[in-house]
Amino acid sequence: MQEGKVLPAAQINRDLLRSILETPQWFWPVVSLLGLIVLAAAVTIGVMINTGLGITGLNYKVVWGFFITNFVFWIGISHAGVMLSAILRLAKAEWRRPATRAAEVLTIFSLMTAMIMPIIHTGRPWRILYWAFPYDFARGIWPNIRTPLVWDPSAILTYLTSSTLFVLIALVPDFAVLRDRTTGWPRLVYTLLAMGWEGNPRQWKLQIIAGVLLSALILPVFVSVHSIVSWDFGMAVAIKSWHSTVFAPYFVVGAVHSGVSAVVFAMILLRWAYGWQDYIRHEHIDALGRLLIVVATGWFYFLVMEIIFGIYGLEGDELAVRALQFLPGDHGVAYNVWMIIFVGITYFLPVILWLPKAWRRNLWIMSAACISVNVGMWLERYLLFVPGQANKQFQTFTWNDYLPQWPEALIVGATFAFVSMLMLLFSRVFPLVPLYDIKEGDILKTEIKVGRRTVPATFRED
Amino acid sequence: MASGTQAHSPAVEHEQTGQEHDAHEHGHFGPEMWVIPERAGLVAEVNEKQRTTPGIWRWVFIVGGALTALGIVGFVIKALSDGFSNHQAWGFYVAAFAFVFTLTASAPLAACAFRFTKSHWRRPLSRIAEIFSLVSLVNILLFIPALIVLPDIGVMTESGEQMVRRSIWFQELTNPWGWLLAGMIGLSLCSVAILWLAAMPDMAQSRQYVSGFRASLYARLAGGWYGTKRQWQIQKGGLAILGALYFMMVVFVQFLVVSDFAMAMIPGWKDSILPPFYTVISFQGGLAAILLVAYAMRRWGGYREYIGHAPFWAASKVLLGLTLLHTYHLFAFFITYWYGRLEVEQAILNYLMFDSYLGIFWAQLFFTFFIPFPILVSNHARREGWGAPLAAVFIIIGLMLWHIRIFAAAFAAAPAAEGGLYYLPSDAFSFPALLLPPPKATFPGTADIFMILGGVGIVLLVFRIGMMLLPPLSLWEMKEGAMYQKVDTLIRGRYLVLGKPE
Repeated sequence: MQEGKVLPAAQINRDLLRSILETPQWFWPVVSLLGLIVLAAAVTIGVMINTGLGITGLNYKVVWGFFITNFVFWIGISHAGVMLSAILRLAKAEWRRPATRAAEVLTIFSLMTAMIMPIIHTGRPWRILYWAFPYDFARGIWPNIRTPLVWDPSAILTYLTSSTLFVLIALVPDFAVLRDRTTGWPRLVYTLLAMGWEGNPRQWKLQIIAGVLLSALILPVFVSVHSIVSWDFGMAVAIKSWHSTVFAPYFVVGAVHSGVSAVVFAMILLRWAYGWQDYIRHEHIDALGRLLIVVATGWFYFLVMEIIFGIYGLEGDELAVRALQFLPGDHGVAYNVWMIIFVGITYFLPVILWLPKAWRRNLWIMSAACISVNVGMWLERYLLFVPGQANKQFQTFTWNDYLPQWPEALIVGATFAFVSMLMLLFSRVFPLVPLYDIKEGDILKTEIKVGRRTVPATFRED
Repeated sequence: MASGTQAHSPAVEHEQTGQEHDAHEHGHFGPEMWVIPERAGLVAEVNEKQRTTPGIWRWVFIVGGALTALGIVGFVIKALSDGFSNHQAWGFYVAAFAFVFTLTASAPLAACAFRFTKSHWRRPLSRIAEIFSLVSLVNILLFIPALIVLPDIGVMTESGEQMVRRSIWFQELTNPWGWLLAGMIGLSLCSVAILWLAAMPDMAQSRQYVSGFRASLYARLAGGWYGTKRQWQIQKGGLAILGALYFMMVVFVQFLVVSDFAMAMIPGWKDSILPPFYTVISFQGGLAAILLVAYAMRRWGGYREYIGHAPFWAASKVLLGLTLLHTYHLFAFFITYWYGRLEVEQAILNYLMFDSYLGIFWAQLFFTFFIPFPILVSNHARREGWGAPLAAVFIIIGLMLWHIRIFAAAFAAAPAAEGGLYYLPSDAFSFPALLLPPPKATFPGTADIFMILGGVGIVLLVFRIGMMLLPPLSLWEMKEGAMYQKVDTLIRGRYLVLGKPE
């Protein structure tokens, strides 16, 4: 038997547009609270720019700390969109349908958030303009286009543009539904956004072709973004533990691991907040849980390779970094304890929680597992970047350590509030579960009688 | 929406009704996309086909046997002329072994993986994938000489035993051949267990149609199978558990093989992406081999009505993904080494890609990417069924070249340990000198060519024997698939409907 019942189109419209047409009582207080946190962070950024990066824990040797860790973390989260939307669409996984829009939107907001981090990390953000507009032609001061630090913004902006296009194209039929259900200036806006959508066969055909084409075209961008981010580190031969050939696929798989976990948690929250039990069902969370077991195991394999081949070289300075990461000792910061916590909460704990089917269908357990993955993935980036820079190798006079101060802790914490606030505001104006995708899924849903049993089935075009 | 419509082969309907004709013309789905034939006498038909062997299978047997004999001759010549103490002479043998291992170890995994993802189109391919398990038994035999020629990690010097090269075994100074062999044996046994469990229902069904040795074999291997609900549960649960175990084992053994027999042999080569890269290559090669066999069975082997275009259409997308992943891993390795500008890494790039093995590198790249990629992105080539097998041929040739470039090059690069150290493990700065200038490429001698051909031959021979012993199609999966499919009407079109039980 099918788990979910086939709902009439009118009810789907009513249920999924409720977040837009009605405002829940909790909505504005929650948005205001998140806004206050973001405001506090904005003031802190202002103070930091005015005073200088000295108020943070960054120092000579450890120059990339919380901000860059957070940058990579949010880039990672952004990989959920393409994974769930493009890859699962091409693979014709039916259970993807309620998750795609939230994943795509999370991609955009997390990319925007990620881009803020290196800008404020520079300490003097206006100097970023020099990258675009070289200021001294006479003395040949040009941007170095051969550095991954320049490839980075190009890749991220391409990903942001294509992801935005991807979301917009998928939103067009839903804009038309909103256009027909609103009045006044919202109707005007939705009319403009719907671009004359009437839902005729030609429009549907074009929309589907555009979706499939974009799904295929966005895949290389998806892979390239985190690969290039990984090369920010992987190309740096001076910092031991960074120069590793496996970084690109390791980062991409890690990004999918954290991104899909974040989407699962977001879906559970949305289901609870908007009462979307008929749309975000246990079967969807279950399927995502199974996907996550595979992704997590792939990620763990890459982690093991990274560690083994870090030690494999038996090079003194690399071994010093690995000792700092894994062994107890008088290092100041107990990286080894954090390492144990990180591996435990990123792989072993969640995978154990995902293995039994009953636990995958328990939303509390799934939420705990997904939060655990994301805390762990944040720690992963931190433990990957910072110990190498601490430089606790041969020359003791260059040793240093990193202890984050309140400004970067506040700013990093506020990025979570920022993304949550943007997601909530988005849900206020656009549907976070795609209406037409759910309706299409319901149309394609059928059953087959096998002996005495009825088996869920789907219409397929190929 | 649900209806009790009986499943009909659209190929038959296509001829019978104008309505179906219209549906196909409007592109809802073509008859070639039908997956499983609806045939009451499937078991009897397949067993009959096995008995009346078409000529091609006799040729496969003869050619496979002849090439295997050639390989044995090559091996004997090599052993007599070079002995086993000079590892540099055995590079091509190790390349041939690794090539066979790469292709055959991952093939059974395809059956497990696609069963896990409930891919309906996998059903005609499952048994082909599983029969490769029998070749993995031969892998154990092929592995033993490779272990013998693998140079030690440490040598005895005046000051005692000392490490002479890097190794994943770190502080061990003798080759852990016991662990390597145990890994290979474990992997082979696991794959054979998968084959036995998956083929058990088919052997039980086929008992009444066979005689002689096969009858006795089936009675022994599937005597207790009655198809009770409990037996089916155990069989399916067992396949899932063995599949997961096999996946982990295959990745682990591939890590051991490529680290010990390739990376550790080249001074200064520290490359964390190589094991995953090798695994991707192996998956790509395994799937290519399956598609090639499936095409031969369909085109010349008399199984046209059982193996439609749908498995090629769907599997070719997976092959395309693996081809892209192959190139991605290669690029990630290249760019990290090239950009880093470390002398030792430049030397390795020059050795493996740009200087000594330049020609073979480009040839391999063309065969594994530039030629198969356009074939696999073409909807027409994929849909017609010839695209994926054609791409598979190029991919398999490319992978053979890859193995020669990596394994033969690795054995040729490792200097002979003539009374002392050939490279130091603890000082990174000692490495660059050892590959500067990069050693020249080695070329295979007659015995080497014989051994490489023997590697191909033994795969053909053992696979053919497997096809003679077991039903070459997974009959129970085909029957199951036929129950989970039907043609039904949606709005104005006729579409394929697929059931997916939990």
